[in-house]
Amino acid sequence: MEKKIGVYICTDCEIGKALDIEKLTKVAIEMKAPVVKSHPSLCQKEGVEFIKKDMAQEGVNAVIIAACSPRVNYDVFELGIPLVERVNLREGVVWSHPANDEDTQMMAEDYIRMGLLKMQKMEAPEPYKVEEPSKNVLVVGGGLAGITAANEAAKAGYEVFLVEKNEALGGWMSRIYKQAPTKAPYAEMEEPEINNLIKEVQQNPKVKIYTSSLIEKIDGAPGLYDVTVKRNGGAETFRVGAIVEAAGTVPYDAAKITEFGFGKYPNVITNYMMEAIAAKGTMVRPSDGKPVKSVAFIQCAGQRDEKHLPYCSATCCVESLKQAKYIRNQYPDSKVYIFYRDMRTPGHYEYFYKSMQNDAGVFLTKGDVKGITEDENKNLAVEVENTLLGEKIQVNADLVVLATGMVPVSALGEEILPPGVKPGDEFIPYVMIETDILNLEYRQGGEAPALINGYPDSNFICFPYETRRTGVYAAGSVRAPMDIPSTVADATGAALKAIQCVELTSRGEAVHPRVGDISYAEFFMQKCTQCKRCTEECPFGAINEDEKANPLYNPTRCRRCAICMGACPERIISFKNYSVDMIGNMVKNIEVPEEEEEKPRVIVFACENDAYPALDMVGLNRLQYNSFVRVVPLRCAGSMNLVWVADALSKGIDGILIMGCQYGDDYQCHMATGSYLAKIRLSKVAETLDRLKLESGRVQMEQVSIAEYYKIPKILDEFIKKLEGFGPNPYKGF
Amino acid sequence: MAEAKVINPDLDFVKEIINSGGESLKKCFQCSTCTVVCNVTPEDRPFPRKEMIYAQWGLKDKLLNNPDIWLCHNCDDCTKYCPRGAKPGDVLAVMRKKSIEENAVPGFMGKIVTEPKMTLAALAIPFILFLAVLGLTGHLGIPDGDIVYSKFFPIRYIEVIFISAVILAGISYLSSLSRFWNNISKGSSQPYSKGFFPALIETLVEFLKHSRFGKCEANAGRKNGHLLVFYAFAGLAITTIWITIYYYLPEPYKKHSPISLADPMKWLANISALALLAGTLLIVFNRLKNKGYEYRNSSFDWTFAGMILLLGVTGALTEIIRLMGVSSIAYPMYFVHLLFVFYVIAYFPYSKLAHMGYRTLAIAYSKMANRDIAV
Repeated sequence: MEKKIGVYICTDCEIGKALDIEKLTKVAIEMKAPVVKSHPSLCQKEGVEFIKKDMAQEGVNAVIIAACSPRVNYDVFELGIPLVERVNLREGVVWSHPANDEDTQMMAEDYIRMGLLKMQKMEAPEPYKVEEPSKNVLVVGGGLAGITAANEAAKAGYEVFLVEKNEALGGWMSRIYKQAPTKAPYAEMEEPEINNLIKEVQQNPKVKIYTSSLIEKIDGAPGLYDVTVKRNGGAETFRVGAIVEAAGTVPYDAAKITEFGFGKYPNVITNYMMEAIAAKGTMVRPSDGKPVKSVAFIQCAGQRDEKHLPYCSATCCVESLKQAKYIRNQYPDSKVYIFYRDMRTPGHYEYFYKSMQNDAGVFLTKGDVKGITEDENKNLAVEVENTLLGEKIQVNADLVVLATGMVPVSALGEEILPPGVKPGDEFIPYVMIETDILNLEYRQGGEAPALINGYPDSNFICFPYETRRTGVYAAGSVRAPMDIPSTVADATGAALKAIQCVELTSRGEAVHPRVGDISYAEFFMQKCTQCKRCTEECPFGAINEDEKANPLYNPTRCRRCAICMGACPERIISFKNYSVDMIGNMVKNIEVPEEEEEKPRVIVFACENDAYPALDMVGLNRLQYNSFVRVVPLRCAGSMNLVWVADALSKGIDGILIMGCQYGDDYQCHMATGSYLAKIRLSKVAETLDRLKLESGRVQMEQVSIAEYYKIPKILDEFIKKLEGFGPNPYKGF
Repeated sequence: MAEAKVINPDLDFVKEIINSGGESLKKCFQCSTCTVVCNVTPEDRPFPRKEMIYAQWGLKDKLLNNPDIWLCHNCDDCTKYCPRGAKPGDVLAVMRKKSIEENAVPGFMGKIVTEPKMTLAALAIPFILFLAVLGLTGHLGIPDGDIVYSKFFPIRYIEVIFISAVILAGISYLSSLSRFWNNISKGSSQPYSKGFFPALIETLVEFLKHSRFGKCEANAGRKNGHLLVFYAFAGLAITTIWITIYYYLPEPYKKHSPISLADPMKWLANISALALLAGTLLIVFNRLKNKGYEYRNSSFDWTFAGMILLLGVTGALTEIIRLMGVSSIAYPMYFVHLLFVFYVIAYFPYSKLAHMGYRTLAIAYSKMANRDIAV
């Protein structure tokens, strides 16, 4: 169908007062837009009716709304057609630039021009629909997290396959004697909740349970996963739509902490072993069955120690307090010592801590345990330094309990770095730890990549449950160290994420963070050179390879970030509504004033996830930024193709600034690695600039988090000042 | 590296502190807010943070060796600002009681007098003793004529009973204090910065001004009551000596009680009695006052305040009723008053009154050991 474009300019929110609307209209008409109109308030009912009338009577089927930012009123401008483009005149122009100013006007005119060019290149995306997508959920791991996820998904009406490698369900939780309090007044221990949950899941007809089973492989993509399970020597295959990875943890190997004598002294045990003793009924020690009247707990037995586990294991302080209660309840004359580095009892556990602290027989002190010795009767002496008692002390104990930490099962394997990446590199796009949990048939490896410490997370700050594998949601202590209530909440959340995934996938829509996006990548394979850039750089492992290194794209694994589009040197990857050609065209058609006018032009490629909202915030807060800037939103800084840099500079644009998300320890990149990949690409742009005989400083990358919007005007001013030092781009006027 | 000190918590000691009014003890989580807000602690190894953990861990020796609990004036600044409600002020008060109890010679007297539940037993001792003496000497009746208390309880009996009580108590007190001194000074390795007597004199001069008490903020009201009681006791001690001198002066200078109201000795006696009553009432009301934070006075402290109040009230009544000439009430009242006098005098090494010696030595020690503060 022929595209008929309508341009609607809103004059509300100061746009009409600050800009010459007539001249803007003229620009659109010159660009051959068939319908160009202005309206006093487009977002009101009458405004929307105004557009809809043209759609009905004039046959307008592609609408450009030149008004507020696309980040607001998106629901108002749902016109029931795929081709709707927003030109940001409010936050991006009049709220952040002086009114009735020549440069502000030129900025608005360029944006109208760019919006029209974009629309002219845009095609209506069609959703990628899988035939008979599966909406079943696979839950890997039958512990507290897995059982909860299975119960929750089943309650919501989905078929669940629950796979557990052990004979029985329940995981670690079924081996504890009592659980720490979860209810007010948070002072009493509770019967483990897991037993009820096991019953519930076993009785649920929607859950198919595979115990003593391992996953041999998982083939496919969200909506289409074919799972092969090994059980009793046989194999069975079924199809699921999404996966909850709830493989749990194992205790850290206490024998590695040599100074505590675990393995050497029979009465030095771990907190996990303590549960087994308590479950037997009488608190006695292993060496001679003597009742334990003096017990020392050593907190952080390996945790928060770079040599062992660098992180806090979240539960051990509360668990030790609970185990202290086991002893104190049984022997009123007993003494329990707890040596901690910091007592970490967050939330309501503080009440439990207080109640245990109030017990006369519980002796707490901060301190560094220096060593443990044993006498001929197997009694132990614990030496502790830096105590709150102000001196180095020794206490005699019948039993020493090491509060060891959790190691996620996902960390139990060899770390494999992507090709070409060395340990210690500044940027490691992903770490693959080849364990035996999922065995995905993915080109980048069989598991969800690890973020830090072997946890298969994707972004600690923004997206819980998300791994870097679309359709795979980690939950419970395999995702992060956590306690019982957090695990239950986490598993419920992950089950919901899995449900969102199967539903969105069945409709051909993207999952988080571009939820509902129906566009997907298309590969013009005739021109592919099998360079593998796309298959290596995709943060989500969406692209497999055939034996000839041709990319095999899985649309349902794709998050539509377009990093592959930015990576592809042959520019064969594009989306219906986002392509190298489209952005290139916009860039090339920015009006570049003559050199003597002294009006430089700077393109800001702004990541839509953080930088673009930050720019909007500049406008919302009525801060001003330089009018020589033209902002081009990108799906991800990683989707930036270097050809745009060449296009822009050869057209006389004076400088290019890429604004991506924060990376590094506190990274916030919504697409995991996009911001960093953009930087790497830019480091290679010097060559292009040399060829054009231009200063490499004309292209710069900045990291902007949404909260740092106030820094943007200064960043832009400084960049433009730097460009002034270089003088105008000599290509102006060519 | 220093050798590790073997620590063996005394669980019973912890429970004793808790049961004597330190039930908030275990709430302390060692944040040290208390030592920061305390106005009377030395800067080096300040209290009461460390005392709190010693007590939580039942480290009896460390507490009994510790002069710092006696530097505390129960200002309650710590209690007011404690984020956990651990009430260090209350806990330290209990520790002082434990210190009196543990240092007491003989030990059983410490147990009897420091235990509020034993108060009646403690009063029963003079009651039986007086009854026996009066009964055996045929004085158990209301004498006729003008009210002269020595007709009922002859002065020589009073002298024998009370002077021997004072001597016994004095010996016990000196032994207790020397035990205490040995405890607090035995760990000291540094040479003292000044001698014992100069430190002692400095300390006593401070007491006259109550300058340490002046540093209290949260419970500033304690100073006035204590000051009155302090000087009242001083005045009453002087009058006791004074009247003894009167009694043994040669004729015609000898004076025999009752002494005329116009006599300067009687003036001092009555003013001191009034100060004792006023001071004790101030202390009691100050304790009952809502100060805007939670605190609790131990029953040990309350017992002593009650005894002093009864001492003052019965003393005043003894005099007033005598002046009114109602002999049927006057003599029994005198008898009752003597019970409280006995309690205060004979039991002072074990009652709250013992604090005067312990505190004096602790402050003097802090001056010698260079742990003094500017007051």
